Amino acid sequence: MAQNVRESSVGGRPGAPLAAAVSAWVIYLFLIMPSLVVIPMSFGDKDEFMFPPESLSFYLYGQYFFESTWMATTLQSFEVAILTTFLSLLFGVTAAYGVVRGNFPGKRFVTLFLLSPILVPVIVVALGLYLYFSTLGLSGTTFGLVLGHTVHATPFVIVIAMAGLRHVDPNLEAAARLMGASHVLTLRKVTLPLLKPTLIAGSLFAFLISFDEVVIAYFVSNTTTETLPVKMYSAIQWEISPVLAAISTLLIVLSLVICVSGTALQKDDEKGE
Amino acid sequence: MVLEPRTEGGSEHRDRKVWLESCAKHYGSVVALAEVELAVEDGEFLTLLGPSGSGKTTLLNLIAGMVQPTSGRIWIDGADITRVPPSKRGIGMVFQNYALMPHMTVFENIAFPLRVRKMAEAEIRRKVGEVLDIVRLPDVGKRKPSELSGGQQQRIAIARCIVYNPSIILMDEPLGALDKKLREELQLELKQLHTQLGITVLYVTHDQEEALTMSDRIVLLNHGKIEQMGPPDELYFQPRTLFAAEFLGDSNIFDGTVAGLGEFVSVYSEPGASMMARPAPIAEIGKAVKVLVRPENLTLLRQCEESGLANRLSAEMVDSIILGGVIKCYVRLSDDTTVVVQELTKAERAPPPPGSKVSVAWSAEDTLILPAVGGMTEGGGTAAA
Ligand SMILES: Nc1ncnc2c1ncn2[C@@H]1O[C@H](COP(=O)(O)OP(=O)(O)OP(=O)(O)O)[C@@H](O)[C@H]1O
Ligand SMILES: [Mg+2]
Repeated sequence: MAQNVRESSVGGRPGAPLAAAVSAWVIYLFLIMPSLVVIPMSFGDKDEFMFPPESLSFYLYGQYFFESTWMATTLQSFEVAILTTFLSLLFGVTAAYGVVRGNFPGKRFVTLFLLSPILVPVIVVALGLYLYFSTLGLSGTTFGLVLGHTVHATPFVIVIAMAGLRHVDPNLEAAARLMGASHVLTLRKVTLPLLKPTLIAGSLFAFLISFDEVVIAYFVSNTTTETLPVKMYSAIQWEISPVLAAISTLLIVLSLVICVSGTALQKDDEKGE
Repeated sequence: MVLEPRTEGGSEHRDRKVWLESCAKHYGSVVALAEVELAVEDGEFLTLLGPSGSGKTTLLNLIAGMVQPTSGRIWIDGADITRVPPSKRGIGMVFQNYALMPHMTVFENIAFPLRVRKMAEAEIRRKVGEVLDIVRLPDVGKRKPSELSGGQQQRIAIARCIVYNPSIILMDEPLGALDKKLREELQLELKQLHTQLGITVLYVTHDQEEALTMSDRIVLLNHGKIEQMGPPDELYFQPRTLFAAEFLGDSNIFDGTVAGLGEFVSVYSEPGASMMARPAPIAEIGKAVKVLVRPENLTLLRQCEESGLANRLSAEMVDSIILGGVIKCYVRLSDDTTVVVQELTKAERAPPPPGSKVSVAWSAEDTLILPAVGGMTEGGGTAAA
């Protein structure tokens, strides 16, 4: 009986959970609104920001695709992001393999060291790279930009790859080795195929990190090598072109497509097992 | 210890299938395997038996090349392979969790070692078909391992092993994940396969019954040391230590002091009686020893019954349990120790009711004396004794 009384007093305000849910949604919408507001704006037909737009058109998209240097910058961003993805996957997966499978003194310290770029503020990394690359003559080059982004993205790939490798039974690799397969063959036929979902997730992540990155790119690139986010940032400062709304909308779509396809691929793989 | 040059003792072992030459493995301060000397004969079914953490897997992994010995050398077929990588040792291994490649079909799994050896496709097809027949799963080639039962998966793992004729097959508790009935079935199949193919098998288990039924020879490990090795009957009937006696089979153990030597050793024991035991080198007058009798060697006698057996203690009946063909009777001695008697179940000879006065009797031949130290319960840890 006593228990009953206590229970009812706890659940005594039936409105409480509802209020919590509503306020959570309100806050969420408040936070996401600025991102979504660019979508209607991107369909405006004037060369200035307008909300709500007077009439709907693809005028701004046309501007973006055909009548500006935006397209060239976008291609540059893709190039940097794809190269960064390759490099950070190469470094990240091999490093993760070393620390997960290896057994050497100071392993924890090495792991911490490999992940340390996550702990350093991006602005510090960017400044360091700027000073360092100037002395090497890499400042302003696409290669320098790719290296900078690789430094930034690799620790995240390492974290993902370490988690993935922990799910690959080391006995499978041992079995392959005992059956006569060399290290390389074992990696090619056993470890990497089993790591496929991890590799997909890692590359999508690395791609998005690079494509989205503005601080390092701002420091390391110049006007001929600048990436999309850097150009957008400059555009905001100098001209405030409404084309930005169209670009932002496209970026939202791109992120969405990558996330959804990543999730879908992972689901497929789970089913396949 | 001084490093010895190659001795005659060594060359004698060179023609063994496997020879561990004073191999030890330490992990920091943990002694996973103390210095061990072990020779495996060609075509032998050798079982490594021991409690958890006794170093069975470590020993197997040393031979497989998955871990490097801290000291000592490993020989296979007369060649020193201590520094040879696992892929070049020509060894097969069956794992407890099967270790089948989940992303390959059963066919591809079995074909894997053949493809590594660059065998022709037609030959691969023929061989895989052959071993699938041997393990009696001819139609599962197209399935993924996850679409098979545990027992079937382990059969495929065995097929994948025998398909490339490795010189030795290592098995680390291969049946540990299966239920009892399936385990017994596969024990039989494995044993048949071993005889049929004449392969050398190194088998790990912590199940003493499994070790006793399957092995040509058992190596009993305890705290990284070889406690005793020999054929199953020798380990069972002539355990040399308390640990061996307690680990294999049931046992009744009494404390005692050696009182006289002769055709049989006489031991004065705690329950206030003198016992006759088989002679043993460790017997010295006045030495504290343990006395071992297996439950199946004891006879339960009514108070007045005569038996003509050398040893007899009076006791009080506590309880009895019928286990199908055999019956286990628990009796209490005058000093409160409980003794287990195992007899064949007979309809005309029901066990005495609890509380009744009885005697247990057994022959001197069935009585062993063992060193008083080194049991399972005492002296834990690998501390240097
Ligand atoms: N990689 C390792 N690092 C540190 N200690 C280890 C390592 N591998 C094994 N050991 C230790 O070595 C000892 C022997 O381990 P091993 O795995 O050989 O035992 P086992 O007889 O196979 O036991 P189980 O029946 O539980 O499988 C144990 O005390 C274990 O803790
Ligand atoms: Mg083990």
